[in-house]
This record gives sequence, structure tokens and C-alpha cells, in this order.
Amino acid sequence: MSTEQTSPGTPEGGPRHAPPPHAADGRTATPRPEIEAGRASASEEGVVVKSRAENLSFHYGPVQALKGLNIEIREKRVTALIGPSGCGKTTFLRCFNRMHDLTPGTRYEGRIMLYPDDFDLVAKTVDPIEVRMRIGMVFQKPNPFPKSIFENVAYGLRVRGMRSKLRIEEEVEKALRRAAIWDEVKDRLDGSGLSLSGGQQQRLCIARALATNPEILLFDEPTSALDPIATARIEELIAELRDQVTVIIVTHNMQQAARVSDYTAFMYLGELIEFDNTSKLFTNPSKKATEDYITGRYG
Amino acid sequence: MDEIVEGHTVKAYDGALSELRRRAHRMGMLVSQQVETAVRALLESDREAAELVLQREQQINAWQSEIEAESFRLLARQAPVASDLRTVLAVSRAVTDLERAGDESKKIARFALASAGRGATGPSRVMHRPLRHMAELASESMRVAVDALDRGDAAVAHEVARLDREIDQEFEAALRQLMTVAMERTRLLKPVFDTVFALKSLERIGDHAKNVAEHVVFLVSGADVRHAGAARAAAARDTQH
Repeated sequence: MSTEQTSPGTPEGGPRHAPPPHAADGRTATPRPEIEAGRASASEEGVVVKSRAENLSFHYGPVQALKGLNIEIREKRVTALIGPSGCGKTTFLRCFNRMHDLTPGTRYEGRIMLYPDDFDLVAKTVDPIEVRMRIGMVFQKPNPFPKSIFENVAYGLRVRGMRSKLRIEEEVEKALRRAAIWDEVKDRLDGSGLSLSGGQQQRLCIARALATNPEILLFDEPTSALDPIATARIEELIAELRDQVTVIIVTHNMQQAARVSDYTAFMYLGELIEFDNTSKLFTNPSKKATEDYITGRYG
Repeated sequence: MDEIVEGHTVKAYDGALSELRRRAHRMGMLVSQQVETAVRALLESDREAAELVLQREQQINAWQSEIEAESFRLLARQAPVASDLRTVLAVSRAVTDLERAGDESKKIARFALASAGRGATGPSRVMHRPLRHMAELASESMRVAVDALDRGDAAVAHEVARLDREIDQEFEAALRQLMTVAMERTRLLKPVFDTVFALKSLERIGDHAKNVAEHVVFLVSGADVRHAGAARAAAARDTQH
């Protein structure tokens, strides 16, 4: 494991279910003074912070891909990350479930706090497996296991120690329903996951991620391989999931960010340029760089 | 203006947005001219001038349809956001006001034709000065507002609002004067009425110019200032009670 946690004075990976006294204060959606870019008018009455990146930097060997990001992720809201290729949005997304740990020579600095228990996702003492239990991910290309539809969803439950066949069947159905694919697959649960269409495969992957009740669901360009109708179904699904789970989505499709997200973060060259309510950011952005990018004046 | 519009990676989109504003500007300039021509037709009982206004009115209507169709097409095909979206919306709203201001000029031209047809002398002499002055103000405020739309200059909105207040004051003063005329010389009731309608049209043109200026503020800053004055007045009333 080549990851390294260098943030000084961090209570690294503290006990999960014992929130320290300041946790309640830290969760109100009013950014701390140092969270400069997040200070815009994005705070909203009654919104709770689910996670917060604090001075998060990330290095691929000598290359610094993220430069001291400060950003709040609000609970049960959809946050979109946009920006040109290479801006660090996917790198940032992947930090949330420690995907980079598989790549040698990478290094995290700063913290990504998960609330309510003040759990630092990138602390080096924290097991990435534990992180991935709490943070689910859906990838660009649908990647079902070469197993039955049922097994695709049941797998995660078994890994988490669920033994009761009845219980597993219940949970699989629940997850497939939440992913809006149950009606299409209920009569062929034993069929291969790979026999489904692209859009269905992606919804199966979403069901697989939902089965274990993640606190945050990460989407890495989830519709870039899908046609407009399959895309619309995924977008609708994201809108439905919004009530149940915190969502972070990376997308190259700006209209998609505008359609599905509550908040949008615009990143450029590894930095957070602007973070705001999606409606505000797409009608009247505060920063010129944001304006230039979303109106297509880059490059 | 080009500073705001240009620079898109897709050059055709740049062109379409600048063209949209250029066309709205051209339409606005014609509307501004219409005001002057219509009032001249009325004051000088000039049938030709009145006919010219009616003829150009059709051009204005055609431009409105064209600009709105182009805005609609841009919304559908380019899905503009941020300042581009505000540009399309502001231009679209502005041409509605321009078209209505054009209609007001048309009404004045119709009075001019009608009174010339009756062989009447048009508005009584005493009304010439206020009519002329209001026409100048209305035409000027329209020109200023349309220039601001072209240049994306929100600062001009204050100037247009000032001109609008001046037009309103002039309108009030002219009404008082006309009431005196009507009471003293009932024989002149018909020309007085015609004059009141013409003045009202000019006052409306001032309002439309002010609206255009407010659309420019929206285009530049995203702020909706259309009802700011009314909201302030209501707040002032509330504090008085």
C-alpha cells in the first residue's frame, strides 16, 4: 500500500460511532471560513453536510492532480462535478472510495470527513475495504459480474455476512426495485447479468451498489455509454435516489449536470473554481472561468 | 458587444448570438425612427409620413417573428447557459417590447391619417410643443436602451429610467393643459382626445424603452429589476402605515 496520509493533527480514522463533540456544529451547511469556494450562496435551510473534503490534495507520483480542495457534500442531495478533461474531477470522485489505493505511487493529503461520525475516508489507518462498505460506486461502462442477475446483487450482501436465504432474496428484490429494474428482470433472475441491454446492465450495477445501503453513491459518467432513452432512465433514477442517498456524479455532459444535480462544482487544473446551487451556476455563475467553460468558450 | 458573445469553440454559435443582438438593435433603431416619423405626421398632417409608418410597422412585425424564431432555434439546438442563455432570453423579451412600441407609433400614425382625412388641422397649436418634446424623449430613450442592448451596457438603465420619469412628468403636465383647453373650448374636444391618445402612446413607448433597459440589466447581471421600483414603493407604504 503506497498511500500516505500526511495531514497533521488528524484524529486518524477515529471510532466510527462515537462522534466527537464538535461534529454537530461541523455538519450545518454553513461553510467554515477557510472553505473559500464553497462560500457562495449554496447553503440551504435544513441541509446537512454528509461529507467534507478539507485541504484535499492528491498526487500521482510527482504529479499533483488535486490542489487543496475544500468542498462540502450535502446529505441526500446530488452534487455534480464538472470541468474539462484532466481537471481532476474523476480523481476527486475516486478518492471517496479509495480507488487510487490500487495504483502505486499515489498519495493523499488532507482529509475527506464522513459524517455524522467524523470518519476520515483517506486516513491511512482506515482500511479501504471499510470505506467501500460505506461508499458505493457506479462506473462509466456497465460492469456486471459474469454471473446471474440475482448473484450480481446478492454478492455484496454475502460479503457483508448475510446468510439467510430469505433475507438475501428480500434485499435483492428491494435493491432491484430501487434501481427501477425489478419489473424487467423479475422473471429471469437466474439469467446472466451480461444478457441485459447496456442501460439495464447499468441499472443492475446501481442495484448492486444500492444493495448494501451505501451512505454515498458515486457515479463516474454513468451514462456516457448509453443511448438517450437509457440515459433518461438513469437520470430519473438518480432523481428518485436523491431522497435516499447522497449522490456525487462526474459528468462531461453539462446539460446532464444541470438536469440531475442540486449542487455543481466546477473544477479546473486540480482546483475547485466554483461551487454553487446548480440553478445559480448554470444561469449566472460568479467566476469567469466557470462562465467560459459552461458556455463552451474553452480551448 | 463582441466581448461578451464571441470566443465560443463553435464559431457558428458565436455568429448566431451576435447576429441575434445585431438584428434586435436594427429593429430597435427603426422603432425609434417610427416614433419621430409618426409624431411629425400628426403635427404636420403629413399623410405620406403616416403611410410610411404603417408600412414600416409590417417590417417591424416581421423582424420580431424572425428574431423570436431564431431565439427559439438557438434554445433548442445550442441549449445556451449562463450569459448566452440570458442573451437569448433578454433579446426575446426586448423584441416583444420593441414590437409593442412599434404598435404605439402605428396608433399615432393612424390618428394622423384620420385627422388629415377629415381636413382637420390636427392637435391644437398649444399641444405641438409637448407632443414634440415627448416624441423626442421617447425616441431618445428607445435609442439609448437599444444601444445598451447592443453593447451589453447595464449602466445605461439609469439614464433610460430618468428619461422615462421625464416623459411621465411631461405627460401629466400636458394632460392638465389639455383639460383646460377642453373645458374652455368644447369645439376642440375631438382634437384634444386625439392628442391625449397620442400622448398616451408616447408615454407607453417610454415604458417599453425602460423595459428594454431592464432586460439589458438582466442580460448583463442576471438580476431581475423589473419590479424593483414597485417593491420599493410598497415597502415605503408599509412603513408609513
